[in-house]
Amino acid sequence: MIKAAFFPGCLIPIKYPHMELAVRNTLPGVGVEIVDLPGFTCCPDPIYFQAGDKLDWLTMAARNLCIAEEAGTDIFTICSGCTSTLCEANHELQADEALRMRVNRRLARVGKEFKGVISVRHIVAFIRDVAGIDLVEKSVTKPLAGVRVALHYGCHLLKPSTIMKVDDPDDPAILHELIKAIGAEPVLHGERFLCCGKACVDENLPMEMTSTVLRSVKESQVDCMGMICPTCFSSFDTGQLVIARKTGEKLEVPPVYYFQLLGLAQGLTPKEVGLDRHRIKPKGMLEKLGVV
Amino acid sequence: MTDGEVIHINPRKRKRLLEKLGGNRVSFCYQCGACVGDCPSARFYKGFNPREIMLRALTGGVDLLTARESIIWKCSNCFNCYERCPQDVRPVEVIIALKNLAQEDDTQPDEVKATIETIKKTGRSAPVIDSLARKRESMGLPPLDTIDIAELKAILAPEEEDA
Repeated sequence: MIKAAFFPGCLIPIKYPHMELAVRNTLPGVGVEIVDLPGFTCCPDPIYFQAGDKLDWLTMAARNLCIAEEAGTDIFTICSGCTSTLCEANHELQADEALRMRVNRRLARVGKEFKGVISVRHIVAFIRDVAGIDLVEKSVTKPLAGVRVALHYGCHLLKPSTIMKVDDPDDPAILHELIKAIGAEPVLHGERFLCCGKACVDENLPMEMTSTVLRSVKESQVDCMGMICPTCFSSFDTGQLVIARKTGEKLEVPPVYYFQLLGLAQGLTPKEVGLDRHRIKPKGMLEKLGVV
Repeated sequence: MTDGEVIHINPRKRKRLLEKLGGNRVSFCYQCGACVGDCPSARFYKGFNPREIMLRALTGGVDLLTARESIIWKCSNCFNCYERCPQDVRPVEVIIALKNLAQEDDTQPDEVKATIETIKKTGRSAPVIDSLARKRESMGLPPLDTIDIAELKAILAPEEEDA
């Protein structure tokens, strides 16, 4: 087993605890031992909080990084937002000595010091680069045969690519490989690179982007849409109710968090991975798998 | 930008922007427009144009961009412009720096302000309702960690305190 510090973030443990359950239930199967460390706060939020004061954002992120540094463990995240904040802050503070000193002066008030000695990865990157995708394949007892999954990478797993170093953002492969590893069929739909739009402060803009992605997914005739970020998930899950209310358009595309799919493939029930809690349930997929 | 509009150069504001950016990377923008072609906000929102935002940033004529209800808040933070820019200007980071100036001018949107306050006050970006503890317990999940708010407050206090 490879040990790594679990950075839970806010959205999943508070709003989507069933996703956390799916992560906790599936990781031992792929050789990752979860280390829960005390003291983590919000990453903090890479959009609104960084928009306020970048130095505050870096300082709070550095404090979180210090907790794992002190424990001597690398961090894995389960949300693309947390990944964005912690990877970027880790990178910037390692690369820029003047900035690191400014942040460390603030951290010194509470007896902490950022050293830059650990790495941060989204759990999918951690699985691919550290544990190995073969372990995902080996953990599967009920392959999701015949299930077509539309991929949604989201923005912050891959970009900025010079910092994230996961895949070429124009031709990523990681989710493709992870979906194939559980016996399902990854489907590349036309709008797979479009942002979910959540960060735009506007009444219509997020909905325009979300509905464009969803229509493209619907055209590709899939059983569900697979993703790795709770913010994207919320855009596509609750977002579909907003679209239906505002425009009457019923898209009925079920968004699913990757670890829920992995859980099903490892033999967990739909309830054990929290699929009963979704607004748009992947009924077609569950019928196909005979687990309804 | 309207045809014939005059952008007023504002060296003072430009200096503030460059301080926020920690360098003058923005000076390398040669207005090629590579940031526009792959920008989702430009695609779906008429009037959002990262090249124009960079032009204003170059001159320091950013008063319109840091004013209340500025177009900068339509940015999706997708980082496509960061990937595409041949000059490594990182337009999204210029937009974030402009947003930081908006906080200093107290012109940021209410929802942004509210989220920042919630994070500073509670250490979390989402509100925790009373029933969550029971729900997590019933699912077999460990309780949410308690957050040391005093420690958070201490590290977020202004820098002058270290002088």
